[in-house]
Amino acid sequence: MKRFSSSLLVASSIACAAVASAASRPHYGGTLRVQMRDTPQVLDPASFSSPACRSLWRLVFETLVELDQHGRPQPLLSASWQSEPGNQRWRFLVRSGVLFHGGEALEAAAVVASLRNGNPEWKVLQDRDTVVIETNSPDPDVPAKLALARNAIARPEGGHLGGTGPFAITEWVAGRRLRLAANPTYRGGQPFLQAIDVEFGKAERDQLMALDLGNADVAEIAPEDIARARAQNRRVLDSLPGELMALVFAHDARAPGEALVRSALPFILDRRAMSDVVLQGGGEPADALLPNWLSGYAFVFSSAANAAPARQPRPETPQGSPLLLAYDGSDPVSETIAQRILLNARDRGVAIQIASSSGSSDVRLMRVPLASMAAPVALDELARSLGLARPPSTTSSIADLYSAEKAMLESGRLIPLLELRTAVALGPAVNGWSMLPDGTRGLENVWLVRERP
Amino acid sequence: MRFRRKLLMLLAVSVLLPLAAVTWIVSAIARSAFERASDERSSTLVAQFRHEFTRRGEEVSRRVQAAASAPEVMRMAIAAAQTSPNYSFFLDDARALAEAQRLDFLECADDRGTIISSAQWPAKFGYKEPLVIWPIAASPFLKQEEMPTGPELGLFAVRGLRAGDRKLYLIGGVRLDRTFLSSLDLPSDMRVMLYGSAGRPFSTRHLITAGDGLQNAQLLAPLIERVARNGRESSGLIDWGHGGEEMINAFPLTGENNQLLGILLVGSSRRLYNQLRSQIRSAALVAAGAGLLLAVALSSWAAARVTRPIEELARAAHEVAVGNWKTRVAAGRRDEIGDLGKAFNRMTGDLLEQRERLLQAERVAAWRELARRLAHELKNPLFPLQLTVENLLRSRRQGGQQFEDTFHESASTLLSEIANLKTIVARFSEFSAMPQPQFQSVAVDDLLSHVARIYQPQLERAGIRMTLELSAPEPIAADPDLLDRAVSNLVLNAIEAMPQGGTLALRTHQQAAGVSIEVSDTGAGLTPAECERLFTPYYTSKPHGTGLGLAIAQSVVSDHAGRIRVHSEPNHGTRFTIELPANRDKLPAAVGTHV
Repeated sequence: MKRFSSSLLVASSIACAAVASAASRPHYGGTLRVQMRDTPQVLDPASFSSPACRSLWRLVFETLVELDQHGRPQPLLSASWQSEPGNQRWRFLVRSGVLFHGGEALEAAAVVASLRNGNPEWKVLQDRDTVVIETNSPDPDVPAKLALARNAIARPEGGHLGGTGPFAITEWVAGRRLRLAANPTYRGGQPFLQAIDVEFGKAERDQLMALDLGNADVAEIAPEDIARARAQNRRVLDSLPGELMALVFAHDARAPGEALVRSALPFILDRRAMSDVVLQGGGEPADALLPNWLSGYAFVFSSAANAAPARQPRPETPQGSPLLLAYDGSDPVSETIAQRILLNARDRGVAIQIASSSGSSDVRLMRVPLASMAAPVALDELARSLGLARPPSTTSSIADLYSAEKAMLESGRLIPLLELRTAVALGPAVNGWSMLPDGTRGLENVWLVRERP
Repeated sequence: MRFRRKLLMLLAVSVLLPLAAVTWIVSAIARSAFERASDERSSTLVAQFRHEFTRRGEEVSRRVQAAASAPEVMRMAIAAAQTSPNYSFFLDDARALAEAQRLDFLECADDRGTIISSAQWPAKFGYKEPLVIWPIAASPFLKQEEMPTGPELGLFAVRGLRAGDRKLYLIGGVRLDRTFLSSLDLPSDMRVMLYGSAGRPFSTRHLITAGDGLQNAQLLAPLIERVARNGRESSGLIDWGHGGEEMINAFPLTGENNQLLGILLVGSSRRLYNQLRSQIRSAALVAAGAGLLLAVALSSWAAARVTRPIEELARAAHEVAVGNWKTRVAAGRRDEIGDLGKAFNRMTGDLLEQRERLLQAERVAAWRELARRLAHELKNPLFPLQLTVENLLRSRRQGGQQFEDTFHESASTLLSEIANLKTIVARFSEFSAMPQPQFQSVAVDDLLSHVARIYQPQLERAGIRMTLELSAPEPIAADPDLLDRAVSNLVLNAIEAMPQGGTLALRTHQQAAGVSIEVSDTGAGLTPAECERLFTPYYTSKPHGTGLGLAIAQSVVSDHAGRIRVHSEPNHGTRFTIELPANRDKLPAAVGTHV
């Protein structure tokens, strides 16, 4: 009896272990249903700016270099690279044996063509299996820049752009739908998912409803809803605060009064209330352009800003010329933040009008996603997307980066407000999901376990 | 002005004046009635607005009460009761509650006035709500709610909840907007508008209408500003253009502390009144036209009945005046006009009869005068003839040489007297055979100068000074010989009137239709009786005159269709005035020639 019991216990243990192993072991097959708020109109990696969209293009397109979770460049489509002294000429050896989705082998010529499209300021040349990149000035960040979306390697294939990633495009309806199928010839092995079905233009509330009804496997969570979603015991994965919300002025200050208002605004805005109440902890007050976890020095700006308000004079805008603040009317958080700015400004006698329009305005409330895990590249891309000039630097040292960011802040053209988190809620079938600090999702390792009815 | 026109004007005025008065009175009564009706309808609409206001206020109270019993509010109350409450989780609760209760405004605030959650302005969390600090109103009230885009008018209610030792307040409301105004039952041609930002500079943005947007809304600015300034009801007539007039009654809407918050505008279109006024005017115009036509017809009829016989009488009188005494008028009517016609005919008949009798008497008198003159003229030569013949007979009885001497002397005397008799007969013959004038262009000034030159030596001998004042340069049509003779007779008459010398004046004057000639002397003058008979043929006051000179002058002037007058006073001389027409119609073949 005791032996029997022991045998039964062993058998049960083995069975349980087998079941447990089967539940945790990746499964092949299945279609991941993803819903997104974005409505991309062009299937071009260069136009995918949000982390969610970038997560998609990484499934289809690859770059010569990728960044690891610490923002360090790692080889992807290039086997190796080296720079000549002065960091103005770079040589990248193209990895061999890589195939496009259409079956064509990746060659240096295709890489050169793609890079020329996304970087008109570079001189891109082919040297047999090597791609040579020459820049106008010393640029130590060329490898990190090659990891940007716009530097993805793509070629036209049957009406679509074809890449070398683990998934291939099977259907594309601009702004509405994208269907991806697993690439069985992917050099890293076939992905677990058989297909990914993406629906664009879905509001976060509709996504959550679809998730609850079992019509979607992944739903985006707005920053202000992260805490509530967690309180509802959802499976929520979020990023570090990285998406910058800032006030961006359309032009330099034209009058002393306007300059005074710009200099005073950072100190009269109640960022803490915005982050704690409006964002419900889904973001943090931002006094710098790059998050502290990325740059390491953002707290310096924060301490300077917090010490100053009491000494600020009461600014006054000229009579009859209130600042016109425009915001994205389709974004409820932007609307509430704009209203709070209006209240804060009114308390200090600064006349502001807010409007949910894209017409001419003095200042816009903008949300800019973090473009790269490499701080210098992220700052570059930020300046690029806001139309601001980034002071040149010849090295990628922290001091140069700090100087550049400080100069941008002191230009008076933008006021950082908040850093927002990116989050998703996962359905019960989704496994293997990962999220990088910048909000980019690691979909290539996701696998599904559907409960049988 | 002719009688017919006077009659037409009188009739027209008689018709048009009362018509204009009636039109004005009817228009005034209509306007007054419409304005009274408009005021009554406005008052009714305002009462309806207040009723709807009360009804909606009660509805708002119920909804706020319902919101106050929601679980979210209970959680807020629990949080508010804590020492250091964290309200951040309630940011969107007010919005959700407002949506659930169909409230446009909802704010949750603690008893310190701190806004916990705001539906209309979510970013207002942490700010103060003054309503909670002030005494809480029990009944719904009007409130101007500050919104990011500007103030909005709403109907609010407040409910308080006990949360331990603390209280939680819900301030909810609905917007007084187009939907609210649309719920009012408006009579036709009336509309209601709401201005939701009284006390601030006028802006069309704050004007709410029940229907389509209002063009030229700035026309309401003076009325709204007047009500905002005075705080009292006011009204004004707004002309929206293209004849669209509207009477706007403006009623101030005040809040809890009697602060002016909004203005209710009740518009009453004057379209119907304007249509009626237009119809009244059209009818008046038609009536005036008909009245004028009637006046014309009546005046024509009256003219036919009254003025035409009178005009005929006037024409007949004119005929009589020019000598046509046989003129007769129709006198068949049995009224005053007929009597007048009969009297006229009787008068002309009597005149004809009297004229015949007068002519006959004058003819007899003329014959008598002629006989007297002939006897007088012939008696003078006959007496010497008789004496001569008697002397001749006496000499014949004495015979001899004495007869011879007497015969020759008597024969000479007889011949002389017979010649004298012939001269007298020739003069009478000449007067009876005055020739008809041969018209030609005559410069009267030249003619008088010529006469003056002819008689200058004779005047000098008589010691008479002559003055010439000639100012008739325009020629007339006349017979120069006859006119010369007439003027000469007047000059000779003047010379004879001044045997002791004096002054003879010849004057001409250019007149509108001819010329006048004056011949005046400074002689002894004439008595009125002499003046009356002066132009009678063969009448003379002079011992050797024939009495034909002035008669010839009058005959010549008469043949020229002119007139001769005499003005004389004893011892103040005599002035003859000849007025001659231009007579150009009598000068077809003599144009361009004058003497």
